[in-house]
Amino acid sequence: MESDQAGDGRGITRRSALASAAGLGTVAIAGCTQSGGSNDEEKSINIAGSSTVFPLMSAIAEDYESENPEVNISISSTGSGGGFSNFFCVGETDFNNASRPIQPEEEELCAENGVEYIELIAATDALTVVINNDNDFATEMTVEELAQVWESDAAETWSDVNSEWPDEEINRFGAADTSGTYDYFVETVLGDRGHTDDYSATEQDNTIASGVEGDEFAIGYFGFAYWYQNQEQVSRVAIDNGDGPVLPSLDTAASGDYQPLSRSLYTYPAMSSLAEEHVADFARFFVDQTDNEQIVAEEVGYVPATPDVKQAQTEKLEAAIEDAQG
Amino acid sequence: MAVETDTETEFGEVSRLRGAIFEYVSLGASVVGLLALAALLIYVFVDAFGLATASPAWLLTYFLTLVVPYIGFCLYSVGDRAFTRKVALALGGGLVVTAVGFTAIETLVGTIPRLTWQLAYLFLVATPTVASVTFVASREPVGTVGFGLIGRLIGGAALGCAVAVMFIVIDRPLWFLVYTLGVLPAVGVAAYGRRTDFEWTAVAAGVIGLVGFVVATVLRPVVGIYPSDGLIYLWTLGIPLAVGAAGIVWLREASRKRVAAVGGSTLLAAAAGILLGSSALPNGSGVIVTGATVAAIGVYLTEAVDADAGRQGLLLPVLLAVGALAGAAVVQLVGITTPEMWLTPEYVTSAPSNTAAEAGLYPAIVGSIIIIGIVAVLSFVLGVGAAVFLEEYAAGTGLVGRITRLFQINIANLAAVPSVVYGLLGLGLFANLLGFGFGTAVTIALTLSLLILPITVISAQEALRSVPDELRQGSYAMGATRWQTIKNVVLPEAMPGMLTGTILALGRAIGETAPLIMVGAATTVFSAPSGIWSRFSAMPMQIYAWANFPQEEFRYGVVAAGVVTLLIVLLAMNGTAIIIRNRMEREH
Repeated sequence: MESDQAGDGRGITRRSALASAAGLGTVAIAGCTQSGGSNDEEKSINIAGSSTVFPLMSAIAEDYESENPEVNISISSTGSGGGFSNFFCVGETDFNNASRPIQPEEEELCAENGVEYIELIAATDALTVVINNDNDFATEMTVEELAQVWESDAAETWSDVNSEWPDEEINRFGAADTSGTYDYFVETVLGDRGHTDDYSATEQDNTIASGVEGDEFAIGYFGFAYWYQNQEQVSRVAIDNGDGPVLPSLDTAASGDYQPLSRSLYTYPAMSSLAEEHVADFARFFVDQTDNEQIVAEEVGYVPATPDVKQAQTEKLEAAIEDAQG
Repeated sequence: MAVETDTETEFGEVSRLRGAIFEYVSLGASVVGLLALAALLIYVFVDAFGLATASPAWLLTYFLTLVVPYIGFCLYSVGDRAFTRKVALALGGGLVVTAVGFTAIETLVGTIPRLTWQLAYLFLVATPTVASVTFVASREPVGTVGFGLIGRLIGGAALGCAVAVMFIVIDRPLWFLVYTLGVLPAVGVAAYGRRTDFEWTAVAAGVIGLVGFVVATVLRPVVGIYPSDGLIYLWTLGIPLAVGAAGIVWLREASRKRVAAVGGSTLLAAAAGILLGSSALPNGSGVIVTGATVAAIGVYLTEAVDADAGRQGLLLPVLLAVGALAGAAVVQLVGITTPEMWLTPEYVTSAPSNTAAEAGLYPAIVGSIIIIGIVAVLSFVLGVGAAVFLEEYAAGTGLVGRITRLFQINIANLAAVPSVVYGLLGLGLFANLLGFGFGTAVTIALTLSLLILPITVISAQEALRSVPDELRQGSYAMGATRWQTIKNVVLPEAMPGMLTGTILALGRAIGETAPLIMVGAATTVFSAPSGIWSRFSAMPMQIYAWANFPQEEFRYGVVAAGVVTLLIVLLAMNGTAIIIRNRMEREH
């Protein structure tokens, strides 16, 4: 390109014509070239974990990607526990989603491998108990009745639970024991009484829904999002925790009236990953979106974070990022 | 008893009842499976193309502008009045039967969800009719030429797309150097050796290629500026393609004009491909798609134009294109509502999304194609290698023979090991121990290759066993060595069978989900992978995740579209392999 300057202002001589031709050629070729530096370190973010948090995380990641196409985000739906033990605590992923807090064994595993992390609240979910649309007797249940249906020594028939209910066998559809939903249900409703084995266990919410849909005397439970998007298919049960029956909804879960089944969903960023600017940036974006009504409530069907929660999460994250980037 | 006394007086008569029952039971057995699969596929297609929402007018328009002219073309090609009458009867009679039968079922039994009698007619009458006329017409000259051209058109484009996808994960500048410094000189030397019959050129070409490769790897970080991707594609793929196409035509002893025309038009199309921007394939890779398409068509045209009969077949693509345009025009002008299709061009070229209308499968398609490409090479090399050793080299007796037999039993049993177990193997061995990374193309491809290895080994062994021993003995009798016999007699003879086995196994590999989950393949990625070491997703992973989404549009429309895409990729892959196999079979 330097040859451009060769023929300055002396009419068109042969030399200047040649030079400008060469200059044009160089420019033309330069237009068809690329810088050959070896591929820069790829900006990737790897996320694994809970299938419950998966839709929320992928919705937020999708928005982030459209604004930052140079960052490559991959998300795996592995279940909370599978994500921690197979990927996160061995240092393979940057984030792990969980539908329950990290458990002691997982904390130990992470510590063994020197993986440090912080806990961020992603959203609130209302675990929803569903029955068949034709079921008109069990539309309200106390926590004790729910426990009798699902405990390890579970009731055989509906009348065993409540004498006013029909003498029909209960058909149960629930989460598989690898899922955080199962853990949460056991922890809040069943406690030491254990979860029954006599039920159809699955990770797929639509299997539970179609099971309940096809059987008048069936009962099932899953995250609120599925019911929210398929309100015609099955009916939700109002849960009575001593203060009268409360239906699960975005409002009752946000206000805390829907007890004890409203739960927090989490994501755990690794400290070593937050040290990288693009991961920190994504984490900030994520926390910033947790109160986005459109994404969290409308698209995915969870309860957005309250201003207080979001504020607390932001401060926690900023402190962690500062700490990590030192 | 009475029967027995009868047989003594008259000629023996055996009851045919048992035979007849057996025949019908076996017929029933085959029909049950086929019907179940057909029902499933019909629903998947109805969902993927949103046909449940298609108005009868829309169906009728395209039936008249596309299907009817196509059937007409096939009938013209066959040129048999009796056959034409039969087809017309099938189409017309089928219309009445489905309409009446469907309405009867609906009134008597109950409504059939998401199906109308028009759709039933489309799938139960029109589709089989089209298939059968296509089959009959493909044996006549006009049909052969027409389908041949369409095949080249689709095949060339599909092959081009597949190569373009493969190049997504290849470092283009490095490939440019390797090609220029290694491949090109090596090919040149080999070609020169062919002409002069110089013995050692094969070795020399190998050495030159290797040296070129090493030099290229050294130069890659040193050189700072490279041609743009489009120019690299043109130089390394477009030009060789044009030369190759011209070469094939030249070998057929066509006129110099035609050689130049085919080579020139291929080059021109490839160059034009640079400008062809697309939202999906990376910049410049249009070169391969347009180049391969035009090369395939060009080579075929020079052959078909000279054929004695069937030249009219060349009009088939025009007929279909005009039909499609006319249909679209009528739909537009009359204002017929078009169905809400899920499987659209945007679907296969855009990233996954949380809103069903914008959801796409592009990164997963790219992931699956690259993975399956690596698996195909790995499993074929490993499978054929193992089978040749076991069948041709390993001794059948003594201690070695016993060990071989032990091997054999193990391989046969490995074929029945659940795929999750292979996933665990991949996780432990490739991802953790060897450090190939979680969910990278390398880990996934190695795991899947091991998964299908038993099938490829066993089928390759069967193919080798079916080569008659007389051929081997004949070769030895001519003084050939064992290596020469295997290379020149046994392998060419067994190749079609070995390919069939590999195709079937690959079909299994592309649909596997469980081992991918185990080795940490991503469920969702938003952009195509940048190298074989980045985290991959694959079609089954994404489809599985969508099937669990709460929104109904995902579980029906988007998932169905994904399934159909997977089927199309699978068919394209199998089709290629079947064509290669048939070519080889014909050569013998």
